[in-house]
Amino acid sequence: MRHVDLIVTDPDAIDAAYYKELRQHLSDDEIVELGNFLLFNLGYHTFFGTLKFYPMFSPDGRLVSQEESERLYGAAPSSLQAQAAE
Amino acid sequence: MSFIEPLELDQIEDAELRDLVLRSEELGVPGGTFARIIARKPEQAKATLSVMLMKFTEGNIDHRLKEIIRVQLARFAEDPHSSALRSNKALDMGVTEAEIDAGSGDYEDSEHFTEAEKVALRYADQMFLDSTKVDAAFYDELKKHYSEPQIMELGAFIALFHAAHMVMRSFGAPAPTAH
Repeated sequence: MRHVDLIVTDPDAIDAAYYKELRQHLSDDEIVELGNFLLFNLGYHTFFGTLKFYPMFSPDGRLVSQEESERLYGAAPSSLQAQAAE
Repeated sequence: MSFIEPLELDQIEDAELRDLVLRSEELGVPGGTFARIIARKPEQAKATLSVMLMKFTEGNIDHRLKEIIRVQLARFAEDPHSSALRSNKALDMGVTEAEIDAGSGDYEDSEHFTEAEKVALRYADQMFLDSTKVDAAFYDELKKHYSEPQIMELGAFIALFHAAHMVMRSFGAPAPTAH
């Protein structure tokens, strides 16, 4: 989690000494896998945020309009997991 | 040398992945170093390189404009490797270093770009500098110049390559000595 955080917020901190520490916990293949994962998430979340679309389903599993979904989920992302249907 | 060592071509056993690596090298973008680093995870690398090559070279947005936007994003991410790469396809189409530099600089006042190209450059610029400015009014402005499919093509391209440059910077690859 710290590695992903640094890539986004403090890339200057990623140097040889940092990699030495990182390799105590992750292999090079795992570091590449994390990078690959981030590649499809970092930019797209920002892009999707500009499009202002909302989940198609309510926490209890109903198909809802975008207007209702906006009312349910609000402008700021927050987890409604506790209200989710089993 | 990058923090993660790129694989040699003969270390890549999957023929489809090897072909994608070679295509990345031939185009010049995302380049062989990036492709050979992510090749350490072959199945993921095949998906990533396929999507990157498709989003960069196909669609209904001028490839030269995409290359100018790509370099703007690479410089914004301070990724020395991707900043130094050039699309051979865009070079063949006549893109110049003056246009590329203008796209990363004061493009709003540049004579190199049409209004449509300027708003596309602004889209990439604002998406990661201050995405709150990419609001309904901004999308209305984009729609004066581009269809909705073209806007989605631009947005998805910008999102993917911005992230790729941030990730490539984390791999620590220096600028190539020649391209």
